[in-house]
Amino acid sequence: MREFDEKELNKLSIDELTILFMDNINEQNLKMIKGIEFLVQEKFDKFKENLNYVIDTNTEVQIKKKFESKIFKSKLMFSKADRLKLFNKINNIKDIGEYLANRMLLYKVVFPDEKFKLQIQLILKSLRKISNDLSNAVKLIGTDLSKAHDICEEIKEERRIMRKEEWKLLNRLYNYDMDYLSRTFLYLKNLIEDIMMLADHMKDFSEYIQFLAIKYLIFD
Amino acid sequence: MAEELTFILVIVLVAMAVGLAFSIGANDETLASLVGAGVLKFKLALILGGFAIGLGMILFSGGFVPETVGKNLLGEGLGEKYTNYMLLTVLISSIIWLVVGSFAGIPLSSTHSLIGSIVGVIIVYSIFQGGVDLNTAFNYEKLRDVVLSWFISPISGLLITYVLFKFSAKFLLSRLRGLNQIEKSEKNFKWLLLIAVLFAEIWVGANSGEALAILLGLRENYSITGGQYITFAIICGIFSFLGIYFAARYVIRNLASHMIDTRPSEGFIIQMSSAIILMIATLFALPISHSHVIVFCIIGMNIAQRKEVDYKGLGKMGIFWILTFPIAGILAGFIYFGLNMFGFT
Repeated sequence: MREFDEKELNKLSIDELTILFMDNINEQNLKMIKGIEFLVQEKFDKFKENLNYVIDTNTEVQIKKKFESKIFKSKLMFSKADRLKLFNKINNIKDIGEYLANRMLLYKVVFPDEKFKLQIQLILKSLRKISNDLSNAVKLIGTDLSKAHDICEEIKEERRIMRKEEWKLLNRLYNYDMDYLSRTFLYLKNLIEDIMMLADHMKDFSEYIQFLAIKYLIFD
Repeated sequence: MAEELTFILVIVLVAMAVGLAFSIGANDETLASLVGAGVLKFKLALILGGFAIGLGMILFSGGFVPETVGKNLLGEGLGEKYTNYMLLTVLISSIIWLVVGSFAGIPLSSTHSLIGSIVGVIIVYSIFQGGVDLNTAFNYEKLRDVVLSWFISPISGLLITYVLFKFSAKFLLSRLRGLNQIEKSEKNFKWLLLIAVLFAEIWVGANSGEALAILLGLRENYSITGGQYITFAIICGIFSFLGIYFAARYVIRNLASHMIDTRPSEGFIIQMSSAIILMIATLFALPISHSHVIVFCIIGMNIAQRKEVDYKGLGKMGIFWILTFPIAGILAGFIYFGLNMFGFT
């Protein structure tokens, strides 16, 4: 993600800054997901590179600062608090992503078998879809809350599918025939739980977007 | 001695009428939606609102509601005149009942309280003093219209709000799809809200004829002249302005802080509906309760938006609303009877 200069950011509205921020965070999410896929493929250098990107990138800080100064002085009337909350929820994704990336970089795990790899990839596929959908939903808040609401419904459905896979995976992890290194067990357990945490936050976020749709849309 | 006493009584009544005008301004919450939506700076909102209420009070002091309360409710048997002690009793009784209501935490209508007190005083006067036939003591037609308007006005407020909301939802609000569009539309509604609130304030002032009715009663029994009445009416208008500026600010600020999330479009519909009702009632010279109308307008909005309505709380409020008229009447009757015992008629 490229750096932004102050003038460029100044020109953007609250809505545009939110979309830019979401794009930025989504890009980092996708990098992280790709990084985990590299881990599954045991391409550790690329894994490290991708996850470090998530940790080191701070273009979102620029956008965040600009957003905060703008919303404070903004003449938005009644959606100000909701817009701020929305932005903070996007920011929380970044926080969770960073936490996840840091934890994952502590160790380079080798997955126990191919089925395990396949299951993780299924979960990551869902996570990627959720992240992209969420980004699209945020983009639509300013222009079409109804569509944003529908996309969020899809996110919730995807999260349901994903959760089933996660429990299957955890079940396999705890009941695996062979004993593996305690580090491997702990790492994999944390990896699955952290992905769950990130996905749950995204689901909560999508529910918040649905709440906004219900709050602001008027039906005749 | 008697003349001095009458003079003092007139001064007391004029002072109480002016005080009542101040309290009308002080209890007015119409500006809360305007301040809550952040349309104007707080002080400017108070000044404009105060000016509007004062203007309404002065412009409509020549007849309309003050004439109904101060003269037209009385029948031929009473020669369409109050005595000064009657006016004093009406004021004392209303104040006592309103203070009791405030301590009980229930917003009561000063209009209902005042009319109830008038009825109580006249019944006692007719039976114990004047030997007036109760059939001719009241202008029953006017009294019926006034009491009917108390039921019709809130229900009409509810219906107008419902219809206005449904109309605006169908042709405008439901067509706004995104937050950007909604914000833009609400920004425009902000200015419409300003107009609606100021319009409502004028009719609040015009319909709040309690203070002027006392003065008109004094004019009708020749305690003050027509010129003095106009002067005092202007003073009442100024004091209602001061009431808003100095006393209502706390209530307005408090209510406004709870209304930050309220959409200006909703505020506009509610204020416009209540203003229409107040305007019609004023033009028909019917004193109605602004707070009752506003509460029902809000209910109309909630029903139109399929939101929950607190019927239990409303029922409790409704009982006090209905009780206000008879209780104020009984209270006034007792006070006036007491004054009669000491020869003050």
